[in-house]
Amino acid sequence: MTTEAKIKPKVAFFDFTSCEGCQLNKLNLENDLLDILEHIDIVEFREAMDDKAEEYDIAFIEGSISTPSCVERIHDIRRRSKMLIALGACATQGGINAMKNLHPIEEVRETVYGDDKYLFPTLPAMPISAIVKVDYKIDGCPMSMPEFLKVLKSLLAGQEPIKPDSAVCVECKLKENECVFDKGMVCLGPITRGGCDAICPSFGQFCTGCRGLISNPNKNAMLEILTEHGISLDEAKKRILLFNSYDHSQSLPK
Amino acid sequence: MKKYQLNNKQLPSFIDHLKKQGTVFAPHKKGDTSYSFEKVENPNSVVLDYNRTLNSVKKYFLPPREHLLSFSKTDNSFRKGSFKNEKKIFLGVHSYDMKAVLKLDYNFSQGNPEENYLQRRKDSSFIGVSFIPDEFHFSQSVGIPLHDTEGFDIYLEQNSDGYTVKIITEKGEKLIDGFDRVSKAKDISSNHVQFQNKLKYNYNRLPEVFEQSWNAAVWEEVSKKCVGCGTCNLVCPTCYCFDVEDNLDLSLQTGTRDRSWDGCMLNGFAAVAGGENFRETLAERQRHRVHRKFKYISDITGEPWCVGCGRCTAYCTAGISIVEIVNQLCDEYEQNYLNRPAVVGLNAERL
Ligand code: SF4
Ligand code: SF4
Ligand code: SF4
Ligand code: SF4
Repeated sequence: MTTEAKIKPKVAFFDFTSCEGCQLNKLNLENDLLDILEHIDIVEFREAMDDKAEEYDIAFIEGSISTPSCVERIHDIRRRSKMLIALGACATQGGINAMKNLHPIEEVRETVYGDDKYLFPTLPAMPISAIVKVDYKIDGCPMSMPEFLKVLKSLLAGQEPIKPDSAVCVECKLKENECVFDKGMVCLGPITRGGCDAICPSFGQFCTGCRGLISNPNKNAMLEILTEHGISLDEAKKRILLFNSYDHSQSLPK
Repeated sequence: MKKYQLNNKQLPSFIDHLKKQGTVFAPHKKGDTSYSFEKVENPNSVVLDYNRTLNSVKKYFLPPREHLLSFSKTDNSFRKGSFKNEKKIFLGVHSYDMKAVLKLDYNFSQGNPEENYLQRRKDSSFIGVSFIPDEFHFSQSVGIPLHDTEGFDIYLEQNSDGYTVKIITEKGEKLIDGFDRVSKAKDISSNHVQFQNKLKYNYNRLPEVFEQSWNAAVWEEVSKKCVGCGTCNLVCPTCYCFDVEDNLDLSLQTGTRDRSWDGCMLNGFAAVAGGENFRETLAERQRHRVHRKFKYISDITGEPWCVGCGRCTAYCTAGISIVEIVNQLCDEYEQNYLNRPAVVGLNAERL
């Protein structure tokens, strides 16, 4: 490594509509965190510190867009950031938040805010990419730590991060997991984007599709697999929509 | 051929005898209903009466994930890993999986020999075991008789009290040498086992079918049910495709070059720089997969490259069956090419 002092990229983290689980997850990096701080300066991180800075080399965004003020804020952040990366299902694909889009917005407001519904302007829940350009996405609920590190390392080394585009099943096979279908469960792994090392099936749980779907999901075939394994079409659609309402609610068969 | 009788209760001591000679790998229970090859720690956990293992023994010669080399950008150097020289004994291999190893040997020694595979493959002995074909096995249809012993050093054929031990090679003779608890082989009337699952044509008729298979309707039909998960590739004992990726560690100066199994049903497989994908649709990919098993390599070697293990079908969540695909190809072939009169007439007119 060179001895000259390098200029470290300025990195900031912001959160929008979410549980903030992804940012907390990142603080769990523990051992790796010090090594990471060798390479970057964290200038804004609501969960961890108060510093403010004007411009960022990389802005990591957690959470989805769901109010008019989110729209303004994300425009502002994008304007000040060279690169913008969405972290976690809410930011990359709308996530669970986007289930609200399946109901009339007026109804949703009334349920949540009751009589105060007009005090809180709301929008359908959207991924960050619905409003501004997103350079990379790190999927998962919470976001996948190995993927976060991989993307960060690639960017710091000046390489283009590779987005996984094969199903979670692939990782099950590499680990020689017994398929949870053979344990009597149903699983969304066959059309869900891998990259989490099939963590749920590896612990005997079915995949709920938190990393979003692969780029060419055969949804009809997936619905057929689910119904063949004994769940109703309605329930099968709900399973797919849990994390994927924003991108896929329109394209499921009625 | 020398034969002995090995009773069930002698099996653990036989395995102990093998363990003295090398590392023994054998099928174990895995999960609720599955089996996998594992290194034998306790001879009592070995299960020789099993239908199929999730992965074949291929995983020991071509691991699902491996470091090919480690590199350093600081001094532009790289270092390959080394291989343990250990004697490996694979116990309880089915005849189709043995055939698959022989096929991989061919694939990896042709052209540019694949060093890592060939290194790992050294010093391996194989002890086969008979099996009862279930609804997915069809190895007989692809030319592998149930008790095919090619590749084995010893073959265990199940009988009412245990196993008839057949010594196939000199290596096998040495493996059993000194194990004094075997007795004279019992006379077994090898009962005739039937395969429930069959290809419509014998494998030696498949080349004519695969001459006409490119535009078959089956590819499109099957692709409606297929989700492109790649399971059928990854569990196949004769699939050997892989992907290679460089991974930096956090110093950003050193890292590893890693490879992992890949498969032609997957999105990245036929994608090239610039975003082009040579096989965009699942129908094209399914056609490619099946042609890899029954045509491309077979045209060169004269053998099907599918060993009829049934894994791709048993583990496909969409229930897509390779036997049904090939049988439909046979049907389409019969309808379109064997019922000749109309076609012949047409051709004759043109002439
Ligand atoms: S458990 Fe799920 S992800 Fe794993 S192989 Fe089965 S269907 Fe695929
Ligand atoms: S297995 Fe499925 S639900 Fe679990 S982390 Fe991976 S993508 Fe998410
Ligand atoms: S395992 Fe089945 S669903 Fe998955 S890619 Fe193969 S044929 Fe398609
Ligand atoms: S194609 Fe299917 S049946 Fe044939 S060897 Fe491969 S996994 Fe087994």
